[in-house]
Amino acid sequence: MSSEQVVNGGSEDTDERSQKKSAKHDCGAADLEKVTDYAEEKEISTQDFSGAISLIGDQRNKQAAEKIAREKELLKVLIKKEDVDLIVREMEISRIKAERTLREHHGNVVKALIALTN
Amino acid sequence: MPSSNPLPPKENALFKRILRCYEQKQYKNGLKFAKQILSNSKFTEHGETLAMKGLTLNCLGRKDEAYEYVRRGLRNDLRSHVCWHVYGLLQRSDKKYDEAIKCYRNALKWEKDNIQILRDLSLLQIQMRDLEGYRDTRYQLLMLRPTQRASWIGYAMSFHLLGDYKSALNILETFLDQQQKGNNYDYEHSELLLYQNMVIHESGDLKRALLHLEKREDQILDKLTLKEILGELNLDLEQYEKATKYYEQLMRRNPEKTTYYYKLIQARELVKSEDIVQFYLVLGDLYPKSNPPKRLPLNYAVGDQFKTLVDSYLRQGLRKGVPPLFVDLRSVYTDKSKVEIIEQLLLQYTDALKSIGKFAETEVNNGPKEPASALLWVYYFLAQHYDYLDQTEKALMYIDAALEHTPTLIELFVTKGRIYKHAGDPYEACKWLDEAQALDTADRYINSKCAKYMLRANKLKEAEEICSKFTREGVSAMENLNEMQCMWFQTECALAYQRLGKYGEALKKCHEVDRHFSEIIEDQFDFHTYCMRKMTLCSYVRLLRLEDVLRGHPFYFKAARCAIEVYLHLFDEPVKDENTEQELNIENLAPSELKKLRNKQRKARRKAEQESAQAAQAQVKRDQYHKAKQQGDVEADTPHLDELVPEKLAKAEDPLEQAIKFLQPLQNLAQNRIETHLMAFEIYFKKEKVLLMLQSLKRAHKLDAINPKLHSCLVRFHEFLTKNKATLDETITEVIESEKGVLFKNKDVVLLNREYLDTYGNSLEAVLEGAKMLYYLNSKLQSTALGLVTNIDNKYQDVNIKTCKNVLKSLKNGDFGPCDTEIEQFMTSCQVLFPHAIDFRSPSSIVHCESNHIPPDPDNYSSN
Repeated sequence: MSSEQVVNGGSEDTDERSQKKSAKHDCGAADLEKVTDYAEEKEISTQDFSGAISLIGDQRNKQAAEKIAREKELLKVLIKKEDVDLIVREMEISRIKAERTLREHHGNVVKALIALTN
Repeated sequence: MPSSNPLPPKENALFKRILRCYEQKQYKNGLKFAKQILSNSKFTEHGETLAMKGLTLNCLGRKDEAYEYVRRGLRNDLRSHVCWHVYGLLQRSDKKYDEAIKCYRNALKWEKDNIQILRDLSLLQIQMRDLEGYRDTRYQLLMLRPTQRASWIGYAMSFHLLGDYKSALNILETFLDQQQKGNNYDYEHSELLLYQNMVIHESGDLKRALLHLEKREDQILDKLTLKEILGELNLDLEQYEKATKYYEQLMRRNPEKTTYYYKLIQARELVKSEDIVQFYLVLGDLYPKSNPPKRLPLNYAVGDQFKTLVDSYLRQGLRKGVPPLFVDLRSVYTDKSKVEIIEQLLLQYTDALKSIGKFAETEVNNGPKEPASALLWVYYFLAQHYDYLDQTEKALMYIDAALEHTPTLIELFVTKGRIYKHAGDPYEACKWLDEAQALDTADRYINSKCAKYMLRANKLKEAEEICSKFTREGVSAMENLNEMQCMWFQTECALAYQRLGKYGEALKKCHEVDRHFSEIIEDQFDFHTYCMRKMTLCSYVRLLRLEDVLRGHPFYFKAARCAIEVYLHLFDEPVKDENTEQELNIENLAPSELKKLRNKQRKARRKAEQESAQAAQAQVKRDQYHKAKQQGDVEADTPHLDELVPEKLAKAEDPLEQAIKFLQPLQNLAQNRIETHLMAFEIYFKKEKVLLMLQSLKRAHKLDAINPKLHSCLVRFHEFLTKNKATLDETITEVIESEKGVLFKNKDVVLLNREYLDTYGNSLEAVLEGAKMLYYLNSKLQSTALGLVTNIDNKYQDVNIKTCKNVLKSLKNGDFGPCDTEIEQFMTSCQVLFPHAIDFRSPSSIVHCESNHIPPDPDNYSSN
């Protein structure tokens, strides 16, 4: 099972290894149990992070702005309700996805459908 | 925002202790402190305490009470972030992730900067793969706690997962710059560097990745991974000399790993087969005990050189008695000349071992005799060899010779069973596996194999009984195997039920397998925190990616295919209601007979009632058992799913929608398998969704344009379009007109089918589909179509059990109209070709075969 592998592949120290051998059958369960243990987050030596933080903040705002611009562009495309209905009915997909595909194809329903059947 | 009902200092201290106890999983103590607060008459309705009490109860497996307390707590204090947070956690433990997210959002309304709630929210977002939401939450966490390691790594990872490598690397670099001043290089630091390298590597900048790693070589403690990545990067950057150096080092560490050999060949730029063989021979001297330098050159050598090499390889294996020798060599069987050489050698060994006890008669005088067991292993190899080549009689002859030589070797019984399986007789196969199993009842592998063969022979009860030798006592084997997620067993059960026409039972098994996959996906939840804390980030990212494609696994495919087939069948032939059927018959009965029938029915009903009462009792016991187990378990978060009832599943009102549920993961994750799209077509053909049919066909066509099954789909699609031309929506027609060119090449349907039959006239598999369509398009051509598929002598290259079985199935299925005489004739001619295969025997002889438990007369199959 993937979960156990991750545990065993993790950085358990040697003490735990030897313990594991002694508890033959329950070792997997005990290890899994440890996965959900509560642990305090480690603090790192306080440095001056403010510069880095503000940089990251700026970058993030820029990206968010770009994304909003893209979405706005898409929203400008005019689409017909019956086209969306047709796509939803024929392709059995969600309305949101149907609208988005239609917008991405500038409202051309035939092109949108061709893309969806690819 | 503080709670609307704050506690005085003493109670507040108690409340803090409840929280602490919850974190440290000391639930009993937690309840004690809660009681202390709640028993004070002033605070009996204190919302947050009630909520925490509920949450603690939930961890002890008392789900119903938990919900009661948490809801009551929330009602008493709707403005408390604690109550909302707790309600979210409760929902989360029930896997109601969407609900849980809503609760967290409500909690954040009252306390928008609460770290714990944000952290829990981020966990759900990554679990649900709401990557953008995850990024935003991780951003908030970083802003609130820039001094915590996890804040930085989580934020960086969110960009990595979104494919924004540049931002991810920026954050990692900033973080590492701040940290490096400590200078103690521990394992976690090493893992972080490897993760950083993974991100650079995936960004595509290999040079930078290489530089990054070379600079930090001494800080990375996982030396094996380090060297493997260095080798890989140098190879991809075509720096062959350096790559050679790394792979040579790796090979010294582990000369058994075949990938190192392949990579070293690449690094040395060897392309000619002779050079590669020479390369292996040199390494064989360097690592005389390793297997790869002996086995791998057999893939490249040809002619006499192959003969010399395989001769010594075979001799060594036969002398030592290596059971999987044939399986090891099977992959060279794609080359016919190699098969011939191997066969020659083995026949030579047989003769020489019999006469002088050596591998060659020319070696009379040199060296000692071979061990007596060598001949046994030669027989064993030959049996598998002929089985692989579909020469059943020879295979049986050799396996019997081997059994005569050593009647106690389990492998021989397994092989004999396998030969019968390949020859089309699952009953006989199962019998031999049962013998094998009886020889060593403590061998789990043989036990499982035997169970599998029993299932292939539709013996479900026996299979469960065999498995029960290894399952936990006190529970039924079937239940235990489900609990253990033993999917091969469940899938084989489903297929057996499908063959037996017990569709509800088959569906139950398929759904169980599906639930295992859901469970595995849910199991990843705890690792979101754990891996971040342990810094095993590369493994963590790999885990996330594995979970994303989990249902692409062949185990899922097999179960899903079975479910889809069953649902399609149920759509065509819904399960009839037994009562109504009986009522219909009653009308035609005489009064006396009616009375008898009523009596019978009453008895049957009473028996059924008794049985269901027993079942109910057993269910109660099981529940108690589960409850007991859950209370022992600290974390009892298995949600209670609806019970799967075969009768209900078989009577699904919307079989096609159910089929689509199994189909969708395949469309996303197994889009490289043509079967996925062919099944999709069948579903949408029945649903009459033209564009989705088109979609399936386009995808299938891209994968394998000449696939026989695809051909019949195309023809039926063409017919569908012709028949429904008038009623189709204008837009849809336009789409189809623009897309059908690729599929039909502008040919009419009759021509399309004729051309297909002409082009692939030497393949029975293809002709079967073509002939089916011939009849489909024009029922007057029945005899022509039947002639094509039933005269199988010498015309086709692929006359084997599988294709003939498919032909028979089609004939019986009515794909060629009524044709009882042809079916009989076809079965007779197949019986001559495949004397062991039960599918071509008349039904009466199968019954005989099933009940006949006396082993066949050994003289019939004796080696001489």
